[in-house]
Amino acid sequence: MEELDAEPPLMVVPGADPTARQLCFAWGPAEVLVCETLFGRRGAGEGGPSSSRVFVVRKDQDIYIQTLRKLFNESHGIFIGLQRSEEELAGKSRRAQLVQVSKNYRSVIRACMEDMHQAAVSTRDPALHSQYSTQVSILSAMELIWNLCEILFVEAAAAGPLLLRLLDWVRLHVCDVDNMVREVLSSENPSKHELFWNAVDVFVLQGRMDEARHLLAKEASANPTSVNMYKILDDLMKKMPVPSLGNTQTLTEMELKWQHWHEECQRYLQDGTFASNSHMESICKILLGDEDAILEKKELMTTWYQFLVTRLLYSHPTVKPMELRFYAQSSMDLFLGGESSPEPLDTILMAAFEFEMHQVIKECSIALSNWWFVAHLTDLLDHCKLLQSHNLYFGSNMREFLLLEYASGLFSHHSLWQLGVDYFDHCPEYGRVYLELHIERIPLNTEQKALKVLRICEQRQMHEQVRSICKIMAMKALRNNRLGSALSWSIRAKDAAFATLISDRFLKDYCERGCFSDLDLIDNLGPSMLLSDRLTFLGKYREFHRLYGEKRFSEAAKLLLMLMTAHIAPCSFWMTLLTDALPLLEQKEVIFSAEQTYELMRCLEDLTAGKSDKQKFQDDDVETMKVEMLRLALARNLARVIVKEGTLEGS
Amino acid sequence: MCVLLSPPPPQVSVINTVDTSHEDMIHDAQMDYYGTRLATCSSDRSVKIFDVRNGGQILIADLRGHEGPVWQVAWAHPMYGNILASCSYDRKVIIWKEENGTWEKTYEYTGHDSSVNSVCWAPHDYGLILACGSSDGAISLLSYTGDGQWEVKKISNAHTIGCNAVSWAPAVVPGSLIEQPSGQKPNYIKRFASGGCDNLVKIWKEEDGQWKEEQKLEAHSDWVRDVAWAPSIGLPTSTIASCSQDGRVFIWTCDDASGNSWSPKLLHKFNDVVWHVSWSITANILAVSGGDNKVTLWKESVDGLWACISDVNKGQGGVSALPEGQQNEQ
Repeated sequence: MEELDAEPPLMVVPGADPTARQLCFAWGPAEVLVCETLFGRRGAGEGGPSSSRVFVVRKDQDIYIQTLRKLFNESHGIFIGLQRSEEELAGKSRRAQLVQVSKNYRSVIRACMEDMHQAAVSTRDPALHSQYSTQVSILSAMELIWNLCEILFVEAAAAGPLLLRLLDWVRLHVCDVDNMVREVLSSENPSKHELFWNAVDVFVLQGRMDEARHLLAKEASANPTSVNMYKILDDLMKKMPVPSLGNTQTLTEMELKWQHWHEECQRYLQDGTFASNSHMESICKILLGDEDAILEKKELMTTWYQFLVTRLLYSHPTVKPMELRFYAQSSMDLFLGGESSPEPLDTILMAAFEFEMHQVIKECSIALSNWWFVAHLTDLLDHCKLLQSHNLYFGSNMREFLLLEYASGLFSHHSLWQLGVDYFDHCPEYGRVYLELHIERIPLNTEQKALKVLRICEQRQMHEQVRSICKIMAMKALRNNRLGSALSWSIRAKDAAFATLISDRFLKDYCERGCFSDLDLIDNLGPSMLLSDRLTFLGKYREFHRLYGEKRFSEAAKLLLMLMTAHIAPCSFWMTLLTDALPLLEQKEVIFSAEQTYELMRCLEDLTAGKSDKQKFQDDDVETMKVEMLRLALARNLARVIVKEGTLEGS
Repeated sequence: MCVLLSPPPPQVSVINTVDTSHEDMIHDAQMDYYGTRLATCSSDRSVKIFDVRNGGQILIADLRGHEGPVWQVAWAHPMYGNILASCSYDRKVIIWKEENGTWEKTYEYTGHDSSVNSVCWAPHDYGLILACGSSDGAISLLSYTGDGQWEVKKISNAHTIGCNAVSWAPAVVPGSLIEQPSGQKPNYIKRFASGGCDNLVKIWKEEDGQWKEEQKLEAHSDWVRDVAWAPSIGLPTSTIASCSQDGRVFIWTCDDASGNSWSPKLLHKFNDVVWHVSWSITANILAVSGGDNKVTLWKESVDGLWACISDVNKGQGGVSALPEGQQNEQ
């Protein structure tokens, strides 16, 4: 049932106990838990040694490397720019645009490489130094691969320019040439320096004719006897036809010229012109594309792909893209010569030369430790409409697959997760649901973070997540006795039950302390007051107090009465409300109308009648006294108001 | 600068080793929702909670209350506060809650006649509901009704001989996805899966407040040790993983929304009992713990085949990891 391309690799978790135990495994949101256990023991109390350790294991450590932060941040910007870029541009301008994007990515990699190199050089910790150096070489490899993919896939350089691009590519990634050259030139007698001819050879191998000729001139001036030889060689090197970038010559023209030139070199060689100087003779052979001569300079080329490009330069400068694979394979074979086997980098580059894009992506996925590289490269290739032309039916899904993996990895980081959001946004099939699953797991340590996460969810109409987050924050606030915060979160969550709970707490607090906390919030509830009956009551009750404070007694009175008659107030609170009515009843001026007074009396009677005999018995003296006072006050008010209402105006 | 792709750095790192100081075998360890806290339980009858932020390990609570080995722990959704459930050989299920900074027992359920093997919290959308599977063959569902009260529903004889595992289906609102007006609960169809000593995986559905057996999934030839219902990624398919004493792991999928036709796919036949299966949070990786001292990770490639992507092994000495094969191509 399973198809495996390779044996699944073994990841070893260090554990001291070698006895045969089983591993218990649990997924965390970002990490994974592993601990030793013995599943078979389902009975009680079997003895035996055991390990009491739990290992927290993380897969992708790269996101935690500070110096790579720039890579993630800046490439994110490039990625977004690419997604939003103009698709209406067609043909050459679109391609130029995509090449530019590719170059941008590469410059980010190089910048990161620089930083990493600085870090490696400046640290005194050998372990860190080693880690940074490793990172530098990995980044360098990534840039190498990306550059090649840019040439072959994104730019899709045609025969002619292809060679020039490959020459640039090789020149950019070869070690130590400049150091060697500088050493030679700065010596007293450059042409006598032991590395002199190495330097010349390297320039020739890389097709850097001008620089080679410049060095050769030194030999000529130091060694008059070889002047004639030098002049001829110099001339040949000067005249070597190279493909041009512009439209100044067609391929056929170039090939013709090249053929003539090649024959000329051949003639000089066969005439024995260079016979007395083995160095110059070998250079001439190289110019003629003599494989053995080139291979002799193996140490100067260091890699098979430089060998490949040199070969192409001197034997097939007008190589077509599709022909590359043959030259690549044979170059690698000749260069490695059966002494060593290809390394991962070699396999990746070979796949690129063979135009096997999927193979490149797959090999890179295996060789690299995180998804950054393959995710961004594949996305770019997808924009070049290259993946769809391949006959694997999940062509464009591969882009999404890799982006999902990459973005998921970002979510375990306390700040990089924000980048992940944008990547999910651009995954049309599963991006949204992945975002939903991941965003819920972000620890909401602070209110700001919660608000940030909330904003992201609200922008995307992720209502479930909004509700969930608000509920979690409300619960947290309640646990920490921050009632105001809890209330506003539960309003935002539209959680009626919770709002009721918190309103009850507010009211309880009021009863105990005689004042409200978080007045601002309650005063400005607005329409959200309607979320729950209890909340409405809380808001209205506070309004009553405000009205009273502003001495708007008749309005306050009306409101108070309404709270009971409209049953907004819970029965348990009626006593408190009636007690609140007392000062209004005792005012010099009559506030409650007759009708209102009758209503109040009825409320009081309802309240006392509602109590069972047992409750009445339990009522202490204070309660009974309160009721008596109320009855008295109500009766007095009634008396006054009847008189007032019965009296005609002005009489 | 010389270019070389040196062997990639280890892709798995142990970022924290929590020394739990349990005096006996650890049976379960679970991270909370955010990965900030770790709960462990052991044969030493205790449940411990650690704060593991930033690679640290601070013991927050050492909870005693069980009288036998504790088999599993489960964190409830954070919107209900900090709540942890544990189940034990002592036939009890205990629900612990953090109140005013301290962890205390908030509820104890003793309705089972033998060891309770598995506990699993329902999706938070349903409220605070815990499913418990026991060796007495019954499954109980504990629902929080408020004010410290829990309501109990019991499915007796869910599995003959015993029930070993329970796992809830993700919450899916049937019908329209229009936002419900506040205060109204959408009509969720609650389902969960269970695995038992009758070699069966069963799916249970709540109808009119009663739990009914909806499906019987037969494929194993020995006790089912664990079931895991995969998180939903928005597809109409449902997926369940089951593992058994017979060494097999099956992936069950149901394509239609009515949940009627489940078809099994054999993931792999191991050489030993398979004890545990679990899904990553986006359901793209399945972890399988077997009788050998390995955990294997499996991924489904786009063509529907399952491939083992790595083995996690306990071993001696330093970390030595090899590159990971990420996907399976045709």
